[in-house]
Amino acid sequence: MPFNQKPQKFSAKINTVTIGTGDKAISLGGESVLPFYTFDGDIENAPKVGVEITDNGIDDSLPGIKAFYDGCASVADMAKKASQMEGADFVVLTLVGGDPNGDNKSVEDLVAIVKEVVAAVDCPLVVKGCSNVEKDAALLPKVAEACQGTNALIMSAKEENYKAVGASVGLAYDLNMGAESAVDINLAKQLNVISTQLGVKADRIAMDVGTAAVGYGYEYVVSAMDRIRGAALSQDDATLQMPIITPVANDSWNVKEAVASEEDFPEWGPREERGIGMEIMTAASDLVSGSNAVILRHPQSVATIAKMVKELV
Amino acid sequence: MAKFIVIGERIHCISPVIREAMEKRDPAPILQRAKEQLDAGATYIDVNIGPAENDGEDLMKWAVTTIQNEFDNVPLALDTANKAAIEAGISVYNRAKGKPIVNSADAGDRLSYIDLAAANDAIVIALCSAGSVPADVDERMAFCQQMLEHGMTLGMEAEDLWFDPLFLVAKGMQEQQKAIMESIRQFTEMGLNTTGGLSNVSNGMPKNMRPIMDSTMVAMCMAMGLTSAIVNPCDQRLMEAVKSADILLDNSLYADSYLEL
Repeated sequence: MPFNQKPQKFSAKINTVTIGTGDKAISLGGESVLPFYTFDGDIENAPKVGVEITDNGIDDSLPGIKAFYDGCASVADMAKKASQMEGADFVVLTLVGGDPNGDNKSVEDLVAIVKEVVAAVDCPLVVKGCSNVEKDAALLPKVAEACQGTNALIMSAKEENYKAVGASVGLAYDLNMGAESAVDINLAKQLNVISTQLGVKADRIAMDVGTAAVGYGYEYVVSAMDRIRGAALSQDDATLQMPIITPVANDSWNVKEAVASEEDFPEWGPREERGIGMEIMTAASDLVSGSNAVILRHPQSVATIAKMVKELV
Repeated sequence: MAKFIVIGERIHCISPVIREAMEKRDPAPILQRAKEQLDAGATYIDVNIGPAENDGEDLMKWAVTTIQNEFDNVPLALDTANKAAIEAGISVYNRAKGKPIVNSADAGDRLSYIDLAAANDAIVIALCSAGSVPADVDERMAFCQQMLEHGMTLGMEAEDLWFDPLFLVAKGMQEQQKAIMESIRQFTEMGLNTTGGLSNVSNGMPKNMRPIMDSTMVAMCMAMGLTSAIVNPCDQRLMEAVKSADILLDNSLYADSYLEL
């Protein structure tokens, strides 16, 4: 009997969120099929790959990264370089130094860096907060002001600070907002509901539903993304039709496989290769689970994932 | 499973306000009731123009365009004994948000409403009765089979026949309630969609108690598989029960604000 293909068609679709301006602007989402199911229908916008840099400058503990950013004198230089990385669609600036439990850099210092980066790159820009909800509530509205007119995506809006972040990012400066939850489907939905109730437009929201490095409870990530995509497409749940953007680098580069030194574990081989492996495997898994964009750190990971996307979509 | 479909019943010519608005072609009271129902969570709006023997066609066309123009082509159930009026309504109906519902056919004199739905690519509510109260589950199932076969012979998809077990008043017909629920269970087992005038169950009860009976009935029937009901969406207790049951049946993902959605 001949094979009779029956496409799985959904009448619902994922919202399209556009980041950046001009020729280099990117669009996330827009599909009404499951991830990479090009045999069921068109995937209007292929998944996108972002390169993460931080306000702390170059991580010189990794030779590949050190070599790539060689000669960069500032974060702005790094941003420019990152935007030219093979496979990069956008640049992500993570303001990790703002964390009060870390370097506790001032809002002014961090905003100054954001302004330099805005001036240096013409690719779409994504800015992440410092992970501290109080500091981000003060920092991100200022970041949004500095990003006016760039159509950037400002991430890190959480349940605790979505009002401050949403009011500035979504309402005052008409930028895109990233709603962050940590592998919690109910909170992911709730955050979208209350953000839109606040007045942030649904097509200006991307979800960061969280991830884990592969092997570290990753099955929860798969089921969370799967359930969210299922609700968006098969249940036509408008409160979950936002595209998903997933920061992969931080989780991948902070697990034992990516941290343990070669001296301690000679049989594991070079640390950098291990980290790249974790980053690529996690990113690939996030994409097939439903992410519309991933945020990576290493040039080799970026090139590999970009190639994977190109060959599959 | 998809979310439960609430068909708002409050545009009904039995209401003096609506009747007068229909006679005078005054859109304001009708649009206000439509808005209240949509705000409260209705998916479909039922438009009951009564027998409408004189100007039914003109009235239904006016009602359909008036409501759809104001509310982004909200899907409607066209509810009248006047078949020509239903066809006239469908002729101006915009399908962007869903097919029109023909309300309603039965297995007796109104069997031909299924033909009307088939000819116009509409959904039809199929009341499992031939004019009188069905005796039991078996009689309901026999009417269901008859109407299902009739519709499918005419080329309809089974999913476009929404079977109505004929909801009956609890005060006086208590013994029928379990049969109604069992019929819903059997329709569901056949993969069929279901609906009905659920608030019949609380007819004759003190007004303040009706929401309690209606919301309990809707939850129990949803557990049996009921996919839709023609009800008053402005009944908050009822809508809370519908939304909660949608969560418990996994028809909708839980969020703390689910009652506001």
